[in-house]
Amino acid sequence: MGVVKLSTAGILDYSKTSNFLSGNAPVSFGAFDLLETQTLASSASSVTFTGLDSYSDYKHLQLRIMLSSSSTAADTVLEMRVNGDFGNNYSWHSIRGNGTSVTSETALSYPSDYMMVLRGSRTSDVYSAAVVDIMDFASLSKNKTIKSLTAGRGAGLTYIQLQSGLWIDTSPITSINLDPANPSYIFGTGSRFSLYGVK
Amino acid sequence: MATPTYDLLDSVTLASSASSVTFSSIDQSYRDLVLVCGNVNASSANQNFVFYLNGDYYPSTAYSAVFMEGNGSVIDSDSETGGYFIRFTTSTNRLQTDSNAILAIQLFDYTQTDRHKTALVNRSDSYATMRLAGRWANTSAITSITVDGNVAAGATYHLYGISA
Repeated sequence: MGVVKLSTAGILDYSKTSNFLSGNAPVSFGAFDLLETQTLASSASSVTFTGLDSYSDYKHLQLRIMLSSSSTAADTVLEMRVNGDFGNNYSWHSIRGNGTSVTSETALSYPSDYMMVLRGSRTSDVYSAAVVDIMDFASLSKNKTIKSLTAGRGAGLTYIQLQSGLWIDTSPITSINLDPANPSYIFGTGSRFSLYGVK
Repeated sequence: MATPTYDLLDSVTLASSASSVTFSSIDQSYRDLVLVCGNVNASSANQNFVFYLNGDYYPSTAYSAVFMEGNGSVIDSDSETGGYFIRFTTSTNRLQTDSNAILAIQLFDYTQTDRHKTALVNRSDSYATMRLAGRWANTSAITSITVDGNVAAGATYHLYGISA
């Protein structure tokens, strides 16, 4: 194949481009990615996300939860832990509005065995909601922190809560454990747990 | 396999003041929605600011809500049933001409027809910070969101979809 000299004289609508995109739309590689979703086909006594070390190319994680109770008689209370650590290695602060007043609680002055709670409603079509941000989950040098916004409105629940949680450990988070505080009132069918990675 | 999400579905920037903005025919292929409102100021003092769904105008027996707010000196919480989904209509949280409010509204499971619809709201502005939860006791998919209130030019509304 011969070499043909290309000059602007033969190009219509010639314009100089300053980058390799040459007018094409930039490609997005995703800064907020869905990693996993678990939707309960039947009630469950725990939900666990494992193998999170495979997501170490993300900086942060976000959990988005819709939660109901398996029982129409009582709420379920979800407690969040990480790496299978059920010891008293957590602390947390919260502010909570119940429709009448705002209160603040803490576990700073004493160790806790969980870092976040969410109360799930007891009616099948009413779900409590949570957004949980897990910061620097793969860090080798930082104790791990989360912040969450949770709420339940209806079916006996009236609250909104902002909570920070601390796991006093610098190990990378490799699993997330979500368990009911009372094994008699577990997570209801249709409850949804979605995990996202944030770059 | 990771799936990129948090996709922009629609956006509106007010070129002039408006009393209402509606996002209609909302894409039904996502699991959650996030509506981010920025630079929100009232076009005149003391304006109510209300969100409602699918044309179910307020007050409606299907709406209930709970909120908490703090303004640096006072903290407060209130709730209601049979009124509003998301509203800012009290003396402490109506829009002002210098509110510079920003809101992030998380709408969960908006296409799921086996459950009521729930929202979590973060709002901060020049006067206060507020967290609110709203429930729409209706199992229909959300197809439209209306923002009601006399809002000044310059406000931005961005609607995002999140897969699950």
